[in-house]
Amino acid sequence: MNRAIIAIAAVVLLASSYFLTRGTHSISADRSVSAAGDATPANPVNSPASSAATSTNSASNSSASAAPQPPATPEPAGNAAPATAPPLPTPQVGAGIPDLDPKEAIGSKTAPIVMEVFSDYQCPACKVLYTSTNRLLMDNYVSTGKVYLIHRDFPLPMHAHSRVAAQYSRAAAQIGKLEPVADALFQNQEKWEQNGDVDGTVAAVLSSAEMTKVRALVQSGTLDAAIEKDKALGQTYRVNQTPTTVFHSKGQTFPYAGVMSWEILKQFLDQLLSK
Amino acid sequence: MMESSPINFRRAIIWIGRLILGPIFIYAGYSKAFLPNTHFWPWFFLKFSVATNIANFAFQVDAFQMLPPWGVQFVAHALPFTEIFLGVMLLIGWRLRIWAPILTIIMIGFTFVVLRAYLLHMNINCGCFATPEPIGLKKILEDTAMSILAILMTWFVFIEARQPHPWSAAQEVPSA
Repeated sequence: MNRAIIAIAAVVLLASSYFLTRGTHSISADRSVSAAGDATPANPVNSPASSAATSTNSASNSSASAAPQPPATPEPAGNAAPATAPPLPTPQVGAGIPDLDPKEAIGSKTAPIVMEVFSDYQCPACKVLYTSTNRLLMDNYVSTGKVYLIHRDFPLPMHAHSRVAAQYSRAAAQIGKLEPVADALFQNQEKWEQNGDVDGTVAAVLSSAEMTKVRALVQSGTLDAAIEKDKALGQTYRVNQTPTTVFHSKGQTFPYAGVMSWEILKQFLDQLLSK
Repeated sequence: MMESSPINFRRAIIWIGRLILGPIFIYAGYSKAFLPNTHFWPWFFLKFSVATNIANFAFQVDAFQMLPPWGVQFVAHALPFTEIFLGVMLLIGWRLRIWAPILTIIMIGFTFVVLRAYLLHMNINCGCFATPEPIGLKKILEDTAMSILAILMTWFVFIEARQPHPWSAAQEVPSA
């Protein structure tokens, strides 16, 4: 009988800790949502296209913090919050992401969630993630300012052409054409991985003037350093397969390796936003 | 007179099963709900949110591509606490004839699911514990061994229930 009481007490304790934690977060959720809501009009949301267009103008890498430390930065205290209330979490987490190149990102920097996707253009699972989930993500969360989506190159040595594809993608990002080039590389993955014609695949979606710039950047050999930087960052997150997505939200980081279905990703993002 | 020795093969297997499977189930459930990512210890442990961890665990459940979204959410919310509960029940040994078969069915289910993912060449992580573990032969062997242990434990629990308990009072033989 005593054992039964101990068991029931243990289960009740665990269940109550779960629901209490949930309740605490939903209380603070209202504040963080309203804070994000207030911030959104002041920080106009960039659509994927406009984000790419605006990023064309900035040439320097505006990495916010040099040290690649994946652990979250402490949340600054809210200045308007009463003394008894918990501090408001900052909606801007993009500043805490190491080696952040705005040309390799889509969306609003002030978004409450930052997603870093470590991807390989020749990896079939990355194609599935991009075409089935991330397109919907861009339409529903990135374009509405809820998610800041960062592309990270993680070309695997087992794929013969993935590094070349990453170089072309990086070069295209430098001229503000990341999205169409990433689309083309993923959509035509089966073709160029057979013949290695990455150049032709990219040329099909760019003008000749743009293609000249892209080729010049690829041939300059300066893009490898940036790719290696992404790979080194991935190693700090212990990325060992592609795609791996690292979520940052309100001081927490959740990495996930593998393809995510849209429905489950949506529920996860809503959960993060409701905190 | 005692009918049987306090220690025999069946009771030893029951104890081994309880002492191995109980803590494993408790840790498996605990890690899913409280330690989504041990890589970043201790920063994220201090800031954990169980609801978010479970939403994150749903990715692992979904990766097996066996359930609709509502089923994924149900399993993601129910499994960690069920594992903790069953592990506690196994350790304290209360109503083993109820909980041991349930745990065995779940363990066989895990083995089947992992084996299916391996045979289908699904490049996914197991989702068994907080740390990502790729599915391979090692994981299948581990799960199979635990399933066999769970089956034996459950079987012997039912056999032993029919035997007089070794610590029960000796039946007095009426004197002539």
